[in-house]
Amino acid sequence: MVQINLPKNSEVKKGKYFKDKTGSKNLRKINIYRWDPSTEENPRIDTYEVDMDNCPSKVLDILNKIKNEIDPTLAYRRSCAHGVCGSCAMNMGGKNGLACTTPHAEIDGDIDIYPLPHLKVKKDLIGDLDGLYKQYQSIEPWLKNNSTKQTTEIYQSKEDRAKLDGAYECIMCACCSTSCPSYWWNGDKYLGPAVLLQAYRWIIDSRDEERKARLKKVSDELKLYRCHTILNCTNACPKGLNPAKAIAEIKKMLATANV
Amino acid sequence: MENRPLSPHIQIYKWHISSLVSISHRITGIINFFMITLICIWFAFMLLGESNYQIIKNFLETFLGKFILIGITWSFSFQMLSEVRHLIMDLGYGFELKTTKITGLLVIFGSIVLTILIYLIGRGLI
Repeated sequence: MVQINLPKNSEVKKGKYFKDKTGSKNLRKINIYRWDPSTEENPRIDTYEVDMDNCPSKVLDILNKIKNEIDPTLAYRRSCAHGVCGSCAMNMGGKNGLACTTPHAEIDGDIDIYPLPHLKVKKDLIGDLDGLYKQYQSIEPWLKNNSTKQTTEIYQSKEDRAKLDGAYECIMCACCSTSCPSYWWNGDKYLGPAVLLQAYRWIIDSRDEERKARLKKVSDELKLYRCHTILNCTNACPKGLNPAKAIAEIKKMLATANV
Repeated sequence: MENRPLSPHIQIYKWHISSLVSISHRITGIINFFMITLICIWFAFMLLGESNYQIIKNFLETFLGKFILIGITWSFSFQMLSEVRHLIMDLGYGFELKTTKITGLLVIFGSIVLTILIYLIGRGLI
């Protein structure tokens, strides 16, 4: 259901202010969403003054700097630091993206950093993605081939392989799904752009033999057709993929195929 | 663990042209739904004779009435153009980020141009 306001325990309060101690002239204010599960308090926004003269170019560098030099209690996920693992997905300057590939120079004014939208927060910038992973599992993201006798490699033509471009590169960072208003309001039933892009990836794979069953499975008022082409997903994708187009292609296949 | 807060969503998410056009499409849809009902009632009134028609006509000539009329014209124009955009998308075209921006802007400015055109034609100025 559409719920515009945040529940009472999620209302964001003003938090602490960390004044700069380096004496730098090139300062930037960073507002970060904080929530500590060990207290009963509401989430808060802490503000940090960060010395930008000694900070590399990406938002993740700012977070590392804060954690290392100002406030070690800050919690966030990160791993590879070059846009491959998808761990550091968060909302920066009102837009979802990977902290490790988003340059802070692209954000005007103070930098607001929030966890991915409309998730249950585990701590600070870490949201709970269990629901999304369960949905990913529900589309059975593996090759299904019924011939048990074949032991050799299954060949694929260059043209068929090319169909997977733009779908297989997804790193499941959840930037797209958590940017989608439809997913905010119906995340328990609507599969969301990330999972539907993966569903599409297996539907169009020429080696897969369960195409019809897969199509039938996503053909559902809530699972698929909650996409209203708002295109927040395509705008958010840090890998430049187009989940909205993939969803449109699935809808088209369902409209034209006899499933 | 049930006490976990929900992270902010619509409060903090940045708007862009596609999301604006999409939400406006819904809002104008709801406006049109009520306005069509209103227009039907107006027509029903006409069946009851000239004096009843006159009451509504007098209302539509006030400032508020004119505002509502122009508002409806814009809302219809917007809905129509936006619907065409959605139809094209349903065929699987126009999903590139740049294209969505251009078609979105076309819908926004097109609806204003269409409103002015309908007004001018209605007034017999063209």
